Amino acid sequence: MARNRKIDHDELKAALERKLRQTEQAARPARQLGFVHHNVDCIGCRACEIACKDKNGLPPGPRFRRVLPIEGGRFPDVYAYKINMACNHCAEPACLPTCPTGAIWKRGDNGVVDIDSSLCIGCRKCEAACPYGAPQWDPQEWVVKKCNMCIDELEAGRKPYCVMACMMRVLDIGPIEDLWQGRWPTTAVGPGEKPVRQVRHMANPELTGPSIAFVAHRKGRVDER
Amino acid sequence: MPFRFFPSRLRQLFRAALLLGLPFALWQLWQANREGDGSHDLWRATYDPIHFAPAILQARDEDCLVCHREVLLDRVREKSPAGLPAQARRAAYQEVSTYAGEQETFHRRHLVTPLARELMDLRCNTCHVGHEPRDEAPGTSATAIRQGSLRKQVDVESTCLKCHGRLNPEQMGLPGPWPEVKAAFGDSCLSCHASIRSVRHRVNYLKAEAIEAAAAKDSEICHGCHGGRAWYRLSYPYPRHPWPGSESSLPAWAKDRATESEARFLPPPTVDRESRQKP
Repeated sequence: MARNRKIDHDELKAALERKLRQTEQAARPARQLGFVHHNVDCIGCRACEIACKDKNGLPPGPRFRRVLPIEGGRFPDVYAYKINMACNHCAEPACLPTCPTGAIWKRGDNGVVDIDSSLCIGCRKCEAACPYGAPQWDPQEWVVKKCNMCIDELEAGRKPYCVMACMMRVLDIGPIEDLWQGRWPTTAVGPGEKPVRQVRHMANPELTGPSIAFVAHRKGRVDER
Repeated sequence: MPFRFFPSRLRQLFRAALLLGLPFALWQLWQANREGDGSHDLWRATYDPIHFAPAILQARDEDCLVCHREVLLDRVREKSPAGLPAQARRAAYQEVSTYAGEQETFHRRHLVTPLARELMDLRCNTCHVGHEPRDEAPGTSATAIRQGSLRKQVDVESTCLKCHGRLNPEQMGLPGPWPEVKAAFGDSCLSCHASIRSVRHRVNYLKAEAIEAAAAKDSEICHGCHGGRAWYRLSYPYPRHPWPGSESSLPAWAKDRATESEARFLPPPTVDRESRQKP
């Protein structure tokens, strides 16, 4: 974030008007992109987390992407798997209407929920409202930041840093409807595996319509709501 | 003996540096140890019984604020990093007449702003019911104390949704979504709710009488929490308290509803007796 840049107030005002119009109602994108993650084949190396922190220049504390190890059971029926979540770029994001300055908006082309942290005043309402813990507080800059699916990479025709860093190729992006239907060719979903919209411990997807697909562990499955 | 080659003045200087340096080194060692103790204190605090049930449910806000006082002290930035003054912009929900005051942080808006003090009595443990520090995902360790949602220490569906859920026009019997039909009802919730579901907000984190009084003065007060702009697509399945004149037969959608709020949210019995209207 450029701290000493001279501010063009007219440009700022015009940008704000544009943003606020976008935040009144979440855009309905022609094609919604989303992440897909294979809970079982993920080895939990956290390369995705580090690639994300590196790309976004994050200090200790905020983690846009988080690998969550799930372990449990009783011998001999024990289990361990990983759930990996960043921003789910929801159909109707809860963070978006809470933002008083219009810093958060949903892109009309690919449905990415983007944030312009340079407009953030640090009220942290979006952080509280998100059921999936996506907006992250940066205590050094006193603003909230979040995953924007590496929008600059998407616009350059590449995939996000987390996806490119995954050595197991269990994390990928794609049009979320196609991913849910199993129509999108991806290394994150094996032959005969069916991606699901929710796994155990994940907040109810009916709240905001998160664009996320998981290949669930047998112990992580829930009935599709 | 190398010192023999140095002039005596230099030798004296060296001795003086040694004399001053030794206490400095010892002081640094002491500091390092003290910092070590600090991290030990962090672990001790993390596993303090107050972070776990049942102590957390009985904790007073003062107990929590001993360590977490920043939730009430932290304020929003004066300007965003791009130079946008914090008070220059307001979201749609902040345009309702009851949303008074300057931009505030999430916690201050819910706990200490004038409207929060007038209408609400939220406590830290209304939402924060504790979590197992070893769990990155709640409910996965043998000592887990609750089933919550991934990545969050507060379960949105059982807390935020109570006030910030979607109004449900089908169940309310409205001809369409409230923003589209509100003109026909004079933009007032009380045009119906003066007689329907009139026993409400009887929980210990809200001031039911104050809410009713404020709504009688200005019906827009309802939008301060409900439906100015819902955060979530779901509606909260409120317990179905009977109200004066309510029908004894329940509609199908209400059959499985609770008839009373969760036990920990019930108001003290004395207040309850005074305030509850008999059906």
